[in-house]
Amino acid sequence: MESAILVENLGKRFNRYHADKPLTIMEAVLSGLRRIKPVDDFWALRGICFEVNAGEMLGVIGHNGAGKSTLLQILGKVAYPTEGRLEMRGRVGALLDLGAGFHGDLTGRENVFVSAIVAGLPRHEVARRFDQMVEFAELSGFIDNPVRTYSTGMMMRLAFSVAVHCDPQILLVDEFLSVGDIAFQSKCLKRILAMKAQGCAIVLVSHDVTQVERLCDRALWLKHGTVKAYGDSDIVAGQYASDMLVQTQQRMPDRADQLSTSGIPLRMNDNRFGSLEIEITGVRLLPKAQMKSGDRLSIEIDYKNERSVASAHFTLSISGQDGQKYLDVTTAGLMQKVIPLENSGTFRLSIDRVDLASGDYFVEVGIYEKDWSYAYDSHSRAYPLAVYANYVSKGILAPPISFEVIFPKAKAI
Amino acid sequence: MSTKSSQSRPLKSTTNRQWRLRYLWDLLRSLVDRDMKLMYKRSTLGIAWTLISPLLQLLVFIFVFQVIIKIDIPQYASYVFSGLLAWNWFQTCLFQATGVIISSRALIRQPGFPTSILPIIVVTTGLIHFVLALPILFVFLLIDGVNLTPWVLLLPLLQLLQFGLTVACSYFLAALNVAFRDTQHTLGVLLQFLFYLTPIFYEVGSIPDKYRRIYELNPMVPLVNSYRQILIQGEPPDWLSLVIVAGMTLVLLPAGYYVFKRQSLRFIEEI
Repeated sequence: MESAILVENLGKRFNRYHADKPLTIMEAVLSGLRRIKPVDDFWALRGICFEVNAGEMLGVIGHNGAGKSTLLQILGKVAYPTEGRLEMRGRVGALLDLGAGFHGDLTGRENVFVSAIVAGLPRHEVARRFDQMVEFAELSGFIDNPVRTYSTGMMMRLAFSVAVHCDPQILLVDEFLSVGDIAFQSKCLKRILAMKAQGCAIVLVSHDVTQVERLCDRALWLKHGTVKAYGDSDIVAGQYASDMLVQTQQRMPDRADQLSTSGIPLRMNDNRFGSLEIEITGVRLLPKAQMKSGDRLSIEIDYKNERSVASAHFTLSISGQDGQKYLDVTTAGLMQKVIPLENSGTFRLSIDRVDLASGDYFVEVGIYEKDWSYAYDSHSRAYPLAVYANYVSKGILAPPISFEVIFPKAKAI
Repeated sequence: MSTKSSQSRPLKSTTNRQWRLRYLWDLLRSLVDRDMKLMYKRSTLGIAWTLISPLLQLLVFIFVFQVIIKIDIPQYASYVFSGLLAWNWFQTCLFQATGVIISSRALIRQPGFPTSILPIIVVTTGLIHFVLALPILFVFLLIDGVNLTPWVLLLPLLQLLQFGLTVACSYFLAALNVAFRDTQHTLGVLLQFLFYLTPIFYEVGSIPDKYRRIYELNPMVPLVNSYRQILIQGEPPDWLSLVIVAGMTLVLLPAGYYVFKRQSLRFIEEI
């Protein structure tokens, strides 16, 4: 197969300037152009090699500052590489800053024309595909209203629709699954997979390893601007996840055993992991640690944040005695943002219904670094939860069940 | 839904170069169109404002220099109005083009977007306003009893020359504004200064001979003079001075383009 993107030994160097580099003409004249010269430089990317074939999807993962956005800019020819070779065969489309190019005072229709033409579609083609674009974005009734009256979701839907209807042979995507509601997200995903099937080469930059593992054929893991791993996406994703464990291990302090609020000892490296920069000081299961199946359960997590970390992710899972997880959620997955922290505080998660079968379970909680690079504190097998269901279920769930015996209707005589 | 559209690839048959030219043309058209629409939507007077503004300026000049201080220039309304139209085109474009890289951040971040088209769009929009105001200028010429000669047909040539000059200056200013964000403020003062150093409401003849050399370094001087020569006096323009302006433009344009390209890339990287 022909490669659509070929990157060989790519490098990008940025200059760092003096902190008081003149920002105005006045200052520049006064300082005599002396401080305009860069004092330092650093490589944002170095030695990057990869290849994406037509019809392939490459996932780029890495923490903030690893060089992901710089790579995306270079692929989009918005920034130029300092060294190395870059070949892009075909027209490049992008799903970045969706809707940022729209002008609030213009109508949806006018904006569609401008965006699609900027993306490289000839005017008559835009006219021909216009109805498809609007229909896909589900905005038929609003298309002649000014865009400033749109919600963010509507704007992103329209921008997404324009971008995917412009037939790019190469598509650059930055975290696309945050467009609109769940129904629209799955529609977007379907559309992207269809484009891929038709031979579009896709580069997806994502924080979400599981997304990359699920969607991409191959993955590129960037760390400090260099390639840490490149290969099949499931293998790279596995390495990425285990790196998080190693990072946590390295940061783990020696700490004597402590008793959890439920009375079960917490042992480092056994049922407790983390750097302890933020500590979980208490976990309460409310109203009680014994509950009826189908009731509401709130979990309150007290934390102590002496280093004043600004924000973090929380995780919560319910697992069986064998370690099997029946529920496993993160605040990032629930609301797609990090949780702001105080120096000490409580975070409460509520589950409206716990429809588990009768049995003994553990509630497990964790606090993670905002890029998911390591754990601050994570407690497992420490907070028991007993559930009683109204009936015997040999499986995992015991939701409300009703039954009814239905006889064939008596025929009218 | 609409999966069939992706199968047709109308672009493959045309050559790359043709595609690029068509792309640039479509881009110019749609972005100029957008700018015009925006102007139209933002004020109730819309496009009419671009006519009213020079008319008001004209009124002020006529009041000051015909009623208060008497300047003896025949056909004064036509004289000032032609100068104002040319000057306003130049000034507005330079001012807008200076901020154009920063205000078009979203466009610049689109893969493959030719950033260097941005100043051209600004100057083209200005040209359209100039052309829209021409009928009014001709009304003034008519009222002032000016006899039009075939030299009027050189008007597009002068406009082309001014277009090139303005784009060249725009490239430099837009690039400078990336490094120093106060360029626009400084430019405002500079343009005001330059306005008085251009024969808009007075004649070049009033400039003392010893300053004439320096005075004529301002490229807008020969341009404004030439507009009047072909429109009002009905005589050929001063070819020599126009050739000098053209030569200046030919040097400045590629240099400005180069500086602009470098700076617009740096702008993206600084974000």
